Amino acid sequence: MASAHSSSSEPKPAILAEVNPVDIPRAAMVDNNRSFNWITEKICGIIEEKTPTWWWVLFIIACCTASFTLFGLVYLVSTGVGVWGLANPVNWGWAIVNFVFWIGIGHAGTLISAILCLLRQKWRTSINRAAEAMTIFAVVCAGLFPVFHVGRVWLAWFLFPLPNANAIWPNFRSALLWDVFAVSTYGTVSVLFWYVGLLPDLATIRDRCTSKVKQVLYGFFALGWRGSNRHWRNYEMCYLLLAGLSTPLVLSVHTIVSFDFAISLVPGWHTTIFPPYFVAGAIFSGFGMVLTLMLPLRAVYRLEDLITQYHIDCMTKIVLATGTMVGYAYGMEFFIAAYGANDFEIFAFVNRAFGNYAWAYWIMISCNVISPQFFWFKSIRENTTLVWIISIFVNVGMWFERFVITVTSLSRDFVPSSWGYYSPTVVDIFTYLGTFGLFSVLFLLFIRFLPLMAMAEIKAVTPQADPHHH
Amino acid sequence: MSSQATTSNIAMNQDASLPNPKKWLTIGAIGLLISLVGLISSPIGAYSYLVSVLFVSSIAIGMLFLVLIHHIFDAGWSTVVRRQAENFLSVVPYLGFLFIPLFLMTMKDNGLIWIWMDDTASLHGHGTVGEDVLYLKKTWWLNETFFWIRAIICFGSWAFFARALRKHSFSQDSDGKAEHTFACRKLAAGGLVVVALTWSCAAFDWIMGLEYHWFSTMFGVWFFANAMRAALAVLVLTCTYLVAKGPLKGIFNNKHLHDLTTLSFAFCVFWAYISFSQYFLIWNGNIPEETFWFNYREEGIYFYIGMFLVFGHFLFPFLFLLQFKLKTAHASARFICCWILFMQLFDLYYNILPSLKDSHGEPYQMFSSPLNFVWFISGIVGVVGILLWAYWTSFNKVKIIPIRDPRITESLNHSH
Repeated sequence: MASAHSSSSEPKPAILAEVNPVDIPRAAMVDNNRSFNWITEKICGIIEEKTPTWWWVLFIIACCTASFTLFGLVYLVSTGVGVWGLANPVNWGWAIVNFVFWIGIGHAGTLISAILCLLRQKWRTSINRAAEAMTIFAVVCAGLFPVFHVGRVWLAWFLFPLPNANAIWPNFRSALLWDVFAVSTYGTVSVLFWYVGLLPDLATIRDRCTSKVKQVLYGFFALGWRGSNRHWRNYEMCYLLLAGLSTPLVLSVHTIVSFDFAISLVPGWHTTIFPPYFVAGAIFSGFGMVLTLMLPLRAVYRLEDLITQYHIDCMTKIVLATGTMVGYAYGMEFFIAAYGANDFEIFAFVNRAFGNYAWAYWIMISCNVISPQFFWFKSIRENTTLVWIISIFVNVGMWFERFVITVTSLSRDFVPSSWGYYSPTVVDIFTYLGTFGLFSVLFLLFIRFLPLMAMAEIKAVTPQADPHHH
Repeated sequence: MSSQATTSNIAMNQDASLPNPKKWLTIGAIGLLISLVGLISSPIGAYSYLVSVLFVSSIAIGMLFLVLIHHIFDAGWSTVVRRQAENFLSVVPYLGFLFIPLFLMTMKDNGLIWIWMDDTASLHGHGTVGEDVLYLKKTWWLNETFFWIRAIICFGSWAFFARALRKHSFSQDSDGKAEHTFACRKLAAGGLVVVALTWSCAAFDWIMGLEYHWFSTMFGVWFFANAMRAALAVLVLTCTYLVAKGPLKGIFNNKHLHDLTTLSFAFCVFWAYISFSQYFLIWNGNIPEETFWFNYREEGIYFYIGMFLVFGHFLFPFLFLLQFKLKTAHASARFICCWILFMQLFDLYYNILPSLKDSHGEPYQMFSSPLNFVWFISGIVGVVGILLWAYWTSFNKVKIIPIRDPRITESLNHSH
C-alpha cells in the first residue's frame, strides 16, 4: 500500500519550491483581533448586566401575544375543532400550514450545528447557539398544532403505540404517525445537542457568578465542568457523534413532513421531488429566521465583531442558494405537470398560479424566488437593513408556500361540487399569531439567562487559538 | 500559457512510468469503433452506446460540479485535488462529438433510441406513437428540432464553463493574478445554476425520454447524485494512482483522501435518499401511469439488478465508507471507488436498458445474447479511453498543482 505521508527523510517534491500563492486573505471570524477576555466579557456581560428596559417591554408584549394562543386553544378544547375554519374539502388548513412553517424554521439550528460542524465551517460558531435555541422553540410552537388538531387533546397520547384499554393502535402506514416519531426524535436530539454545546459556557458563567443561587443553578447544569483535557476530549467526541446523529435527523424530519403530502394522490401533492424540495425550503426559512433574529441582536448588543459581515455574507448566500433550489423545485413541478400531460396535475398548477388563490401563489414566488435574488449583489448583502427586510420576506414567503400547497390543492379536489374557498376563522388567526408571542417569550428568556453565543467555540476559531498560524 | 512554459511542464510531468495519452487514444478509438458497429447494427448496441456516452458524461459533469462547488465555497483543502478534476474537464468539449453518432443514427432510423421520434413506431397493442394521445400532448417538448437544440445548449454550456474554468486556473499558474480566482467564483455562481438546469434537462431528455410516458420530478436530482458519485470515485482513483506513481507523492496526503472518501460516503447516502424517495413515493402512490416504469424493472434480470443496486450501490459502500481505516488506506479506498464506478454503470443500465422493448413489448433482457457483452464492453472501453486520453494530454501540459492559487498553502498543510 502506498503511503501518502512524506516522511522528513524523503526529499520534498520539487513543485513545492514553485508554490507562491497569490494573496487573497481569508475573512477573520472575529473582527478587530479581539482577545479571549473580550469575548468572555462581551457575551457574559449580556447576561450579567441589569435587565434592560427594552427587554421588559418586549417580554410583556410577547407574553400578551402568547396569551392569544392560550385563549385560542382553551376555546378550541372547550368548544371543538369546528372553531377552526376547516370544512370539506379543506380539512387541512392553517393548522398544518403553521405546523410545517414552524418545523421548517426549526431546521436551521441543527443544520448550522450539525452539518456545518461536519463540514468544518468555522463561521457557524457565532450563530449556532441562538439558532439551536430557535430550533427548539420553533419545534415547541410546531408541536402545538397537530396535538390540538386531534380535538380531544387529552387523548393525544394515543398517537404513540401504547397498549390501551380499547386496543386502538395508530395507523403505521400514515406519514402523520411517522411525523410523531420524527419530530419527537428531532426535538429530543436537538435539545441534547444544544445542552451539550452549552456545558463549557455554563461553567464559565458559573465561575463568574456573584450570587450563591446562580452559582448553584449554573453549577448544577454545568455538570461539574472544569475544562480539563479529559473533559474536552470526551466533550468533543460526544459533540461530533451528536452532529453525526443529528444530520440524518435534520433531513428526515422535513422529508417525512413532505411525505404527509406526497404519499397521497392529490394533484399538486403527489410528486417525487417533494423530499429534497421540502428540506431545501426548511433550510431556507430557518436561515431567514436566523437573520431576522440575529441582526437586531447584533445591533442592540454591538456584536459586530462577532457576527461580522462575513457571517452575514455566508448566511445570505445560503438563503440565495436554498431559495434558488426552491425555485428549481417550483419550476420542476410545473414542468413535469405539463410534461406528464395529466389533466388533473395541469389543472392543479394552473389553478395555483391563476385560480382564486393566485394572490397567495404570487406572494410565495415573489418572496421565495425573487427576493433572495437580491443577495447576488454585494451592496445589498452589506446593507443590514435590507438584509433584514429580505429575511422577513423569506419568512412570509415560506408560510405562503405551505398555504399554497395545502389549500389550493384541497379546495379544488376531485369533486367539483364540493369545491370551496377556504378562509381561516378569527380563532385560527389569533392562535397562530400567539405562537409568535410564545416563540418570543422563550427566545427572550434565552437571551437573558443563557450565553447567546458559544464563547468557547468562538475562541477556538480566533487566530490566537491556532498554534500553527497557517 | 507560453510555449516555453508548456515545454518545461511536459518535461516535469512526463514520466516514463505514466501512461502515454496516445495509447489511450488508440484504445478509445478501437473501443468506439466496435461500439459504433453495435450502434449501427442493433438496438441493444445503440442503447449500449448511449449508456457509455452517459457514463463518461456523468464523470465529466460530476468533475465540473466539483470544480464549481470548490470555487463557490472558496474551499481550501481541495485545492490540490482540483487540478486533477480540471484535467478531466478537458474531455467535456468532446462529449458533444460522442453524441453525434446518436444524432446521425436517429436521422436514419428515427425511433431507434427515443421511440417518440418515430410516429409510426408501434406501442405494442396501443397503436402507434403518432396516434398516442399522450405523445400528442407532449409534442411541445418532445419534438426533434427542440430536442437537438436542447442537446446543443447542454453540451455548449458545459464546454463553455469547463474551458473557462481551466483557462483561468492554468493562467494563474503563470501570471499569479488574483483576478482569475475572482473570475472563477463568478463563473461558479452562474455555472452552478446553468449546469444544474442543463444536467436536469439531459436527465429528462436522454434517459426519462426513452420511456416518454413516464415522469418524475426527482429525476434530475438523481442524475446529479449519480454524477457526483462517479466523479468522486474517479478522483480518488486518480489521486491515489498519482501518489503511487510519484507526481503527487508528498502532496496528496491521507487527510485529502479522507475528505474525498467522506464526500463519497455523503453522496452514497444522498443517492440512496433520492433513489429511495423516488421509488417509495411512486410505489406508495400506486398509480399505474407512474408504477409501470418500475414494473418493467422488476421483470427478469432487472429485478436482480435492482436488488444489486440496493445492496451494492448503497448498503455495501455505506458500511464500507463508515470505517475510518478503510476510508484512509489507499488500497481499500481504491477498491471501493472501483466498486462504486462498477455499480454506477449498473445504475445507468437499470435506468436505461429496460426502456428498450422486444417484439412483445417486454423489456429487452440485457444479457440475452453474448454479443451484447461486446457492445457493453467496447462502449465503456471506448469512452474511458477518450476520457483518459483527454486527461493525460491535459496532465502533461500543466502543473501538477495550482501553484499560485490563494488557497494552495492551506491545502498543502491540510492535516487536521
